[in-house]
Amino acid sequence: MIHKGNKIICPSCGEENLIGTLFCVQCGTYLPSGGPLRTEPLPEQEEERPARPRQEGEEGKEERALNIEVEILNTGRKVLLSADREILVGRLDAAHGIFPELDLTTDGGLEQGVSRRHARIYTREGMCFVEDLDSTNGTFLNEERVTPYLPYAFRDGDLLMFGTMRMKVHIYSNR
Amino acid sequence: MALIDAQKDYYAILGVTPDADDEAIKQAYRQGAREYHPDSGHGDVERFRQIQEAYEVLRDKALRLAYDRQRERRGLSENAPVVLELLQSRTTLAPLDVSQVVYVLVDIRPHSEQETASIRQHLNMALVVDCSTSMSGARIQNVKIAAADLLENLAPTDRLALITFNDRAEVLAPSELVENARNFKSAIASMIPGGGTEIYQGLLAGLNEVKRYAAADMVNHVILLTDGRTYGDELQSLREARQAASEGITISAFGIGEDWNDEFLDELARNGGGVSHYISSPSEVRTVLKQQIQGLCNIMLQNMKLEVNLAPYVHIRGAYRATPYLEILDFTGNVIKLGSLLLDEPVVVVLELIIEPSAIGERRIVRLDLVGDKAANAESVRLRQDVNVTFTLDVKEEPPPPKLINHLARLAVFQLQERAWKALGAGNVRQATQYLEYAATRLFDMGQRDLGQAAMLEVGRLSHGGDPTKEGRKKLRYGTRGLIAPVH
Repeated sequence: MIHKGNKIICPSCGEENLIGTLFCVQCGTYLPSGGPLRTEPLPEQEEERPARPRQEGEEGKEERALNIEVEILNTGRKVLLSADREILVGRLDAAHGIFPELDLTTDGGLEQGVSRRHARIYTREGMCFVEDLDSTNGTFLNEERVTPYLPYAFRDGDLLMFGTMRMKVHIYSNR
Repeated sequence: MALIDAQKDYYAILGVTPDADDEAIKQAYRQGAREYHPDSGHGDVERFRQIQEAYEVLRDKALRLAYDRQRERRGLSENAPVVLELLQSRTTLAPLDVSQVVYVLVDIRPHSEQETASIRQHLNMALVVDCSTSMSGARIQNVKIAAADLLENLAPTDRLALITFNDRAEVLAPSELVENARNFKSAIASMIPGGGTEIYQGLLAGLNEVKRYAAADMVNHVILLTDGRTYGDELQSLREARQAASEGITISAFGIGEDWNDEFLDELARNGGGVSHYISSPSEVRTVLKQQIQGLCNIMLQNMKLEVNLAPYVHIRGAYRATPYLEILDFTGNVIKLGSLLLDEPVVVVLELIIEPSAIGERRIVRLDLVGDKAANAESVRLRQDVNVTFTLDVKEEPPPPKLINHLARLAVFQLQERAWKALGAGNVRQATQYLEYAATRLFDMGQRDLGQAAMLEVGRLSHGGDPTKEGRKKLRYGTRGLIAPVH
């Protein structure tokens, strides 16, 4: 979270919120996410995102690399994902330039209701987040459907479901 | 000395029924302990520990009694009619020198197995219909159809009265058992619009009809249907509604079209322990009324209240109903009135608590008591749950429960538009525009394009010096209020 002194500063409107506030009291922005996450980069832009200049001391401390392994329960396939960048979950569609890092086509993604751009997974400040991209059949975290475009933190051993496809996540920190 | 954890089902852990005697419990313990002992072939340390914990409590008469009582109070035992379940945004807090926020979600639902085979409640109700000039045409036609439907949907032993009002009230059909109601059809046909709107007169006549036959084991209810504003008798009406609620009679208010006073009807229903609805087109009257009747038949707990007992360094910043629809709740005197609990519809309440700085250690920040009357036999029910947090330097990284985030996201939008109308009422157009813009942003984020566009439309009008449309205002208020968590 973006603590400043003993307050959370809303990244959207600048309002100072008490520690523990989940939605900004002024503008309703979800606070643990670090800001409004509504603008979706186009897939093309995603490919050529410029390398962010790395600041001194930033590594190691906050951006400790995490590896996320997902185990797709119906096929038993395990995929190890490097979470140093955002992971798009969905189904490959070359015609529309959609190249998900976690492509569920071969696991029966279409039949099980996985959208082409279904959700994204990313890490921030050592926590892993999943965010549904307004998929048709929804994303579920531990059997609870999540609201689109809101990041939900998940932990090692949690159960994620994209449409009806279930998978278990394992998180390894990678020093 | 064993510690009791009422959340755990010790009986299930041992594989015995709650009425098992000491001998059976001992047997079950021995068998389980042998099977899961870490030294045995398929040992399971955690399971073994749980079996031991369960036995420690159940073997001791006093502890077992205390455990049973706690389970019952929390609605976890099979004897409790209602389940009270709590979720909190955090369980550990850093000992800061500033105030912090903790959200508590209270989920109130009927105990699943026990109540499914319940009986339908008997209704004692009055339908109070606005018959002012503005009701002419499609509106009154649809109300007539809906009223005729109502007769079909009620049981023969239910009671119904039909009242119309304009400048004064008229009892078209006094309260009568539905099976004896020969004159209802002609009464319905004789509803002819004309005159003004004076809600108080109609409400009073409706309440009087219901009062004559009011009984504790019935659902005593008045349904008010109006399309207009009432002038000057709001306060009288609200007082009457409060009085009726204290006598066990509830009121629901339905507004047709755009001209009625939403704040007044909301408050009337709130005072009267019922709900208010927005009916945008006359053809919806039938469906809405039918749903209402079905809901009334399914009432299992009435006069539901949440008593909030706060630690001295804790106070409430906000209290909200999250389902079945959003509502900002009044927490004066730390008692929150919740109306009725339906069989198939859980009530979810969210409390926003401010915690002042406190020393390290585990503490109870709030004790919640849910009280209510069973609709079937007017028997009172009381459930108790505590919320604890630990102040520690070693704060756990705990993601807030998804269910809590879902509800808070919707509440945030609902609150933004409520603030907008409030700012507008105070003449602060700039502030109102700002809030509506925020609301629109959040609505688009949530994929609610329709409501988002409605909000932007009002923003457009306001920023050009216009007034917001009545329709837009109602669409937003009742639309965001009805935003429900995505279903599986």
